[in-house]
Amino acid sequence: MNAIDCEGRTPREINREIKRQIEAGAPEVLVRNPAARHNLAVALLNPAKIVFDGSVGYYCGGMGDGPRIEVRGSAGWGLAECMMSGAVVVEKNAGNSAAASIRGGTVVIRGDAAARAGIAMKGGTLIIGGSCGYMTGFMMQKGTIILCGDAGEALGDSMYEGRIFVGGRADDLGNDAVIQEPTPEDLTEVAAALKPFDIPMPSRLKKVVAGRRLWSFDKKEWEIWKTAL
Amino acid sequence: MCGIVGYMNKSGASDRPLGSILLSMLQALGARGPDSSGVALYGHAGEGALTLRVKLGEGGDLKDRADRIRSRVERMGKVRGASVLSAYLRLIVDGVSDLNALQREVESSAPDVEVISAGHRLEIAKQVGSPDDLDRAYGIASFRGTHGIGHTRLSTESRVDLSHSQPFWAHGVPDLATVHNGHITNYHKLRRQYEMRGHRFYTENDSEIIGMYLAERMRKGDDLEEALRASIRDLDGSFSYLTATADAVGFAKDPFGLKPLIVAETDAFVAVATEEVALRRAFGTAFEALEPQPRTVRVWKLPSKAVKAA
Repeated sequence: MNAIDCEGRTPREINREIKRQIEAGAPEVLVRNPAARHNLAVALLNPAKIVFDGSVGYYCGGMGDGPRIEVRGSAGWGLAECMMSGAVVVEKNAGNSAAASIRGGTVVIRGDAAARAGIAMKGGTLIIGGSCGYMTGFMMQKGTIILCGDAGEALGDSMYEGRIFVGGRADDLGNDAVIQEPTPEDLTEVAAALKPFDIPMPSRLKKVVAGRRLWSFDKKEWEIWKTAL
Repeated sequence: MCGIVGYMNKSGASDRPLGSILLSMLQALGARGPDSSGVALYGHAGEGALTLRVKLGEGGDLKDRADRIRSRVERMGKVRGASVLSAYLRLIVDGVSDLNALQREVESSAPDVEVISAGHRLEIAKQVGSPDDLDRAYGIASFRGTHGIGHTRLSTESRVDLSHSQPFWAHGVPDLATVHNGHITNYHKLRRQYEMRGHRFYTENDSEIIGMYLAERMRKGDDLEEALRASIRDLDGSFSYLTATADAVGFAKDPFGLKPLIVAETDAFVAVATEEVALRRAFGTAFEALEPQPRTVRVWKLPSKAVKAA
């Protein structure tokens, strides 16, 4: 496997080297000592595999279209933001706004996610092995969040569409988020999504979707809007 | 975009390289705020004596000012040590019964003189410029101690000078210091209330109010953790802030999680920083980093044996 050592290098130099190695045909690149630097492996458009042997900082894997990124540590804010396709797998925890605005691909956080994971998702799948924070799935428009642990406050607040599956507690739903019983097809789909990452299927799942009462303004339902705004 | 850091050696031994740990974390966060930098260091306590760090002013004959301040302090207590380092006069004073009176006496010597820190263990060093400049001016890397907090500032409001730099000492309260990343949006309203109760503000920086708030809560009977918890209710805006006392380090995060803060804790130490990059720079790879949820409050205390020994 090709390797890059981050020691003494700026994020720009590291990213250039990752791209250079991928363009030279390396199927897999190991990045040593990332030491939580920001903006690593952003805007990669090839299906190569990049392994970070440690924690990464903000926006790792952002704007990616195709790469498979593995982080053997934690990730900072904005993990895989605006990703189009591919996969980003984090062994430990992630900071705020993981998988923000992703349009496709899969983001996996084996540990816990902080606030606003999956905010404004427009597609793709976000899998959280542990628990998640405040306002997960805020204003999501499409896609799937699978949360194996407990949800933080205001889960799915103002979501337009998409689905959030919760294995643990979901005591505090956001505005216009409602709980439904998952269908057998849902359960099959969740199990299939978890299997490639060896994440056990939770014994029970709740499904959270948009109640659709905020889709269009109705003055007869002014009280709902007052609460939401 | 300020950067804040905190560290505590859980064993309570005061011989740890505290200064170099905080400095390396601040260097990693330097890009977040180049305007000023500072540290609040908690070292070995000197048998009841107070250590004062006094800003000698923005200009003029600082040596003459230092002499005048020293003679004023000598009228109120026994000066066991005095040295001038860059813009500061450092005094070790014994037998002071009223810290507020001492502070007033020092600060009335000239309008731009300010007691930057006072405490049995606390020493604050801060100035305009980078963490590297701070170390060059005050040699903080060689400071040993149990715990401390630090700050690099990107000024978004209020002026850039030594007094507006952080950490802020909560004037009048020995050993209480704070560092803050964010905005306290009800600062002006709270400030008016505090001023009506007779408090003096030294800066136009909203962060200054956090220490005053905590000090007032604790005067009314809260312990540090209760005061931090109450602050989440009473302070509006975006904030992650750290505070330290003679025997504790704690933090509070706002209810919306608008400002980052990452925690690393092992059996040996706890370290907190705005970004994980600071933790990795100072401590390598042998710990797990976690971003606490909004509204989280944590306090770590030194073992009571260590506090007594110090």
